[in-house]
Amino acid sequence: MSGQVSAPPSERTSRLRGGLTQSWLPRGGSAAGRSAAGGPAPRRRSTAASRRTTRTGLLLIAPALLFVTAFALIPLGFGVYISLTNWPLVGPYHFIGLANYTALVHNSVFLQSILFTLKYTAIVTVPILVIGYALAVFVRANRPGSTVFRTMIFVPYIVGLVAESFMAVVELQPDSGTVNFVLAKFGIAKVSTAWLVHTGLALTAISVLVIWFASGLTMMLLMAGMQGIPVELYESARVDGASWWGAERRITIPLLRRSIALSLIISVVGSFLAFNQFFIMTDGGPGTSTESVVMAIYQTAFADFNVGLASAMSIVLIVVVGLITFVQFRYLQGDAD
Amino acid sequence: MISPLAGRSGKRRPRLLAVLGAAALLAAACGGSSGSSSSQSTKDFGVNATGTVHFWARQATDGPAKALVAAFNATHKNLKVVLHLTPPNDDTSQLATAIRAGSVPDVVGLNDIDVPTFSHENALMNLTKYIDALPYKSSLSPGHLKLATFNGQDYGLPYLADLSVLWYNKKLFKEAGLNPDDPPTSYAQIVADAKKITALGHGIYGFSFAGDCQGCLGFTMLPSLWAGGQHLINGPLGTQTANVANDAPLKTMLAAYRTMWAGHMTPVADQTQNGLTWGADFEAGKVGILPGDYGFAAKFTTKAQQAEYADAPLPAVNGGGYSTFDGGDDFVIPAGAPNASGAWEFIKWALEPQQQAKYPSEGMTPIRSDVLTPSFAATNPYDAIALRALAKGSVEYTLAYDAVFNEPGSPWFKMFEDAVYNGNMTAALQEGQSGISSTLASVKG
Repeated sequence: MSGQVSAPPSERTSRLRGGLTQSWLPRGGSAAGRSAAGGPAPRRRSTAASRRTTRTGLLLIAPALLFVTAFALIPLGFGVYISLTNWPLVGPYHFIGLANYTALVHNSVFLQSILFTLKYTAIVTVPILVIGYALAVFVRANRPGSTVFRTMIFVPYIVGLVAESFMAVVELQPDSGTVNFVLAKFGIAKVSTAWLVHTGLALTAISVLVIWFASGLTMMLLMAGMQGIPVELYESARVDGASWWGAERRITIPLLRRSIALSLIISVVGSFLAFNQFFIMTDGGPGTSTESVVMAIYQTAFADFNVGLASAMSIVLIVVVGLITFVQFRYLQGDAD
Repeated sequence: MISPLAGRSGKRRPRLLAVLGAAALLAAACGGSSGSSSSQSTKDFGVNATGTVHFWARQATDGPAKALVAAFNATHKNLKVVLHLTPPNDDTSQLATAIRAGSVPDVVGLNDIDVPTFSHENALMNLTKYIDALPYKSSLSPGHLKLATFNGQDYGLPYLADLSVLWYNKKLFKEAGLNPDDPPTSYAQIVADAKKITALGHGIYGFSFAGDCQGCLGFTMLPSLWAGGQHLINGPLGTQTANVANDAPLKTMLAAYRTMWAGHMTPVADQTQNGLTWGADFEAGKVGILPGDYGFAAKFTTKAQQAEYADAPLPAVNGGGYSTFDGGDDFVIPAGAPNASGAWEFIKWALEPQQQAKYPSEGMTPIRSDVLTPSFAATNPYDAIALRALAKGSVEYTLAYDAVFNEPGSPWFKMFEDAVYNGNMTAALQEGQSGISSTLASVKG
């Protein structure tokens, strides 16, 4: 370990800036380190040290690398292979090249599910961000009661969408669900409104549920980011006569860019991979009008027993989600550095 | 309860994939071998077996499975049965995954409509000679056996029957001026009776159905077509055709549903009834007629209830016959099962009259018609109706049953929605014809 400090200070600093773990580097350094600190170390030793560092680094990330290889990369590669076959749920299979992919171009169920998922993502993303932001503003200060409030808003996320979807199914029943009785009092819906069997109503109900469920997570992410902004910035802004909104717009939002990017990416990826709420609340119906992409994949694999085609659909979904996430990264973080 | 309801640098990578593919193929091949047990002599097979039998049953029909396993283990010292319940919607995928992995259970209680999917892929043990040796073979439910038969060979045998019947409320019949001992025998009569019962008011409805449960609708509506000699799907596998647009009884039945829905003779909540609380309105005494599951009988335990709630066979649409959906499970032994002999011993024991007679108390119907004795009928009046219908029961024999009927976006359900809720009868039938035809064409048989 002592060899780690034998590098010249300049190299060491640059390595630290590069993000290597600085905490385990001895501050005072060993005798060798101290003696080397005065002047440039021989080049050979530096290279050897660098190699050792690389080796240590590789060793440290090896478990994660192995894990990702075994549980993500190999299955993904195998998934690509399956997508090139006619793989049924049971029985023999054979290689069919890109036939599954070309079939997808004409697969109306798949194309419709992509369009529907895009529509759903477009509907829920902005409200989750705006409501999450507003809630974060509300709970970021350590006022009395803010911890209770934070917990209350975050609880839906902890409880989970599966349990909440089942609750929603019960409460949205015509003639017996609480939602209709409450809404009927305000003249918004009838007691007999059947939410989950009409496309528009079902999408509205599911979107409201998901916004309620996910805003808490966005609130936590943004609140953590807000609490990391030095309070001095706000103090000097106030001295300069900045309004609340001025400080929010010129200090909070620019410094929160990374947190906003993170919560947006999590929210968009989550919407693209939505399954539970649709599976439980509408089962994709009426017809296939509320069938998300992941549901379409599930149906193809386990109801139609066509695992090959379902794998091709999954690979296309991975590429689409990857592209959207990449664009978001570029757009939201592009000039942050 | 609802049986027919039921959802993956250069040249080195291809070589790796090929190795993985070969490994999977090998696993499949191992699982696909017929296993040593199939060559065992009929005499020794399933006699004094030892060890453990892994039995997979569906959670949807867990009652008899739990009771059978408990009773078997209590009376057999050398052979132990371990039960594993497969969750709804995952019965087939769990079994398929096990077959792919080459690690199969010894015996499976498989939803009978799913058996062809596995028998057609040689994934099941051929049980023909063992079934032929059973003295009561002719008493076994023909519908259940048909689904397990492929190319003249039997790959499974009936395990339990989960049958559809027509429930009706005698008390409401009487109040509406109808004869409580004269249940409807055609759809015209169903509509007429439902109208009179609805007229009673006070939240009473003449008719009810599980309007968002695709499987429930097939389970209760198809028998009324079969009773008149019609099937929606005809012809041998691979070249099957759909008979929808020109099926007059189907049109009549859908029109009857439309009349009752549009005429408010059914609860509004029927449109969102996905099967979870199916029959609850009837059990609460609020509904006159309900095509449903025999299993509802388990709720009617008191004398007063039994005097009020009665079951009848599902009538042909235009009268003159009756039928039932041969729902429920078949016993199958996956190819390569480690303890096939033990599995067969368990199956034979489960099919003995003594065990069969206990099925009604678990909400299921026996699968042997010779169980229907006068004393059985006296003890189980509800089940006697179902068991009598079993002889006339049928199924739609197709590899595409789930895709055509059970899936939420299935062509059968789209047709039902459009005809009943939207009232577009002609368009619905045409949609059904083309949807079912294209689904049949897309399934490789």
